[in-house]
Amino acid sequence: MTSAQFEIQLIASLVAIACAIPGTFLVLRKMAMISDAISHSILPGIVVGFFISHNINSPLLIVLAALTGVITVVLVEFIQKTGLVKEDTAIGLVFPAMFSIGVLLIAQNANDVHLDIDAVLLGEIAFAPFDRIYWEDYDLGPKSLWVIGTILLITIALLITFFKELKVSTFDAQLSAALGFSPAIIHYGLMSVASVTTVGAFDAVGAILVVALMIAPAATAYLLTEDLKKMLGISIVSGVFSAIVGYWVANFLDASIAGSITTVLGVLFFITYLFAPKKGIIAVLHRQRQQKVEVSLLTFLLHLHNHTEENERHLDHLQDEINWQRGTSKRVVDLALKNNMITINNQIVSLTDKGKLFTEEAISYIISNKKSEIEEMKSRFFLFRG
Amino acid sequence: MGLQDYITLVFTDYTLRTITLGTALLGAICGMLGSFAVLRKQSLLGDAISHAALPGIAIAFLIHGAKNSFYFLIGALVSGLLGTFWIKGITKRTHLKSDTALGLVLSLFFGFGMLLLTYIQKQENANQAGLDKYLFGQAATLMESDVWILAGVTGISLLILLFFWKEFKILLFDPEYTKTLGFNTRIIDILITTFMVLAIVLGLQTVGVVLMSAMLLAPAAAARQWTNHLWKMIVIAAVFGALSGIIGTGISATQNNLSTGPVIVLVAAVFVLFSFIFAPSRGLLFRQIRFMKNRNNLKLHKTLSVMYEIAKTHKNFKHPHKIKILNNFQGFSRKSLKKMEAYQWIELNGQMWNLTDKGYHKAINLYNQQNIQHHD
Repeated sequence: MTSAQFEIQLIASLVAIACAIPGTFLVLRKMAMISDAISHSILPGIVVGFFISHNINSPLLIVLAALTGVITVVLVEFIQKTGLVKEDTAIGLVFPAMFSIGVLLIAQNANDVHLDIDAVLLGEIAFAPFDRIYWEDYDLGPKSLWVIGTILLITIALLITFFKELKVSTFDAQLSAALGFSPAIIHYGLMSVASVTTVGAFDAVGAILVVALMIAPAATAYLLTEDLKKMLGISIVSGVFSAIVGYWVANFLDASIAGSITTVLGVLFFITYLFAPKKGIIAVLHRQRQQKVEVSLLTFLLHLHNHTEENERHLDHLQDEINWQRGTSKRVVDLALKNNMITINNQIVSLTDKGKLFTEEAISYIISNKKSEIEEMKSRFFLFRG
Repeated sequence: MGLQDYITLVFTDYTLRTITLGTALLGAICGMLGSFAVLRKQSLLGDAISHAALPGIAIAFLIHGAKNSFYFLIGALVSGLLGTFWIKGITKRTHLKSDTALGLVLSLFFGFGMLLLTYIQKQENANQAGLDKYLFGQAATLMESDVWILAGVTGISLLILLFFWKEFKILLFDPEYTKTLGFNTRIIDILITTFMVLAIVLGLQTVGVVLMSAMLLAPAAAARQWTNHLWKMIVIAAVFGALSGIIGTGISATQNNLSTGPVIVLVAAVFVLFSFIFAPSRGLLFRQIRFMKNRNNLKLHKTLSVMYEIAKTHKNFKHPHKIKILNNFQGFSRKSLKKMEAYQWIELNGQMWNLTDKGYHKAINLYNQQNIQHHD
């Protein structure tokens, strides 16, 4: 591994961490699409900054771009407050307009602007190590490393200082207002951090992939945990992991590093989406199926409990009576048998003592409207789940 | 070049005519379908779909190995639909919210598309100039065949819209009720979504990935301000969309260095701004005027009620009083008194005022909600 390769991975990892922190809060606050809006609408800010300073490396670009990001947020909120359109429409109206202004500004001055829209949108981290900072001939390292490192330090400092406030205002805005931290200040603070991070990251990974680095790790983490600190941790780890793996995949395919990092993020999210222990698709579908069978089982036991006559308890009759498909009724009867709830004698089903106890307890919970207790009761009685 | 010259040029110049027709049709169909997106609170879906189409285009290129609009279209359509259904899956099956799902699909699909595109670029036969156009769009690449495709899609979606009008409308405003009535909401939903994806995919070539969402939203958001009727909104949105296309093409064709896509979007944004401010009843300007009018009326009513309290102390309520008496109550002015005289609530005589019959009854009924509105 050459030092340039190491530097690229380091920058990518720092970008991933710097994005993951505000990203987690954006996802929790249901404002994920704001990051998309900001990442596009900073374009006019960059262009105007370039016109003023005539230097692509000027810090003025970052300041103006971040300012445009905040202006976008304010505009979106203003339009939304008029009540003429919904919030998502407001977002969808503002950022393409801002982006168009940026594109036209570049096109109008194409001769003396060396700004490439491709570069703004897509970024090229592979060139980051060539743009270095020197101090009296002494090589201080790549410029992006300094930019994103500074932004990351500020973000972490803000996170630690205002962690409690952020947490309260994210989960209970009213409570936080009552406690005296203005939700508006925290909101705009978060938006400013998101804007600055987007600007700092865009020349490394490009505007659209900043969105991926903000949302995907946070969404992955949110499927795995509900604890805010753990969620921050998991999103940082998965962001850094994707950055490093993505770099080597890109190296292998000789393709865009940013694209490959995003693809790894996507694969990571997809795997979590399928296999997350509690919130994943497979777990959810399995739980739904289990619930369905267990509800059917309860209905079945209640029916048996209500009827002492033999003809009501005949296996064939049950199928007609409760109107189940053959498969469903077989699964329900099997489950009941496995759990020793019923015995079958000559096609006649009867409750065992355990089955009676279970049913009676269930009835008492249903009557007293304590249906949530049934879940707990199930875990006491069931040897096998549905 | 004058406006008249330009109009003759549109009719005589083949390229300009094709582009103008193409962008107008695109604007119309986007306005039409965008109305549904806006009303169903799926405004940003268009943004996600347009980004999600990228890997499809890249894969179509990888499989087919050449630039071909038709294969690109199919590829974009498939991956756009895939993205849309994944968004629905994420919001339905997990606790992630729709904004997260949209952002995820948008950025992940786009990133994957980028990976494929850069991979293709490194290949030998990489003539990917056409692929780049999908990112930022270039109306100049519109050909007559594209216009025919656009016209065909517009026609078909119009027919389907008319055919399933009732179903679309009821699904829009009350999905639960639609289900209970026995309509298959899934199929109606898939139908709308498919046409939306189709419109977006068709537009990518002209206005590009980033600006596509504005094409879809802006005409519809503008049209929403002018009416509360669905069909009127759709017609107005289609007209706004078409006008944005025509005007945008005109501006960019007559100026140097103005790409068509962004100009069209900015023209559409002007329509939105104009509608937000000047639309009757919903617009900000008329709302402000109404607000001020109400406030003025409130002031007059307040003055009237003070006068009524004073006049009540006399046997004859028409007995004149000095204006000076009102000085304790500060909410009146010469102008407001004059206005009250104009309403014939009071009569002014030099420094004296007295209530009229009309003003007296008005004051009695002031707190009776039913009469508050009309003060003629």
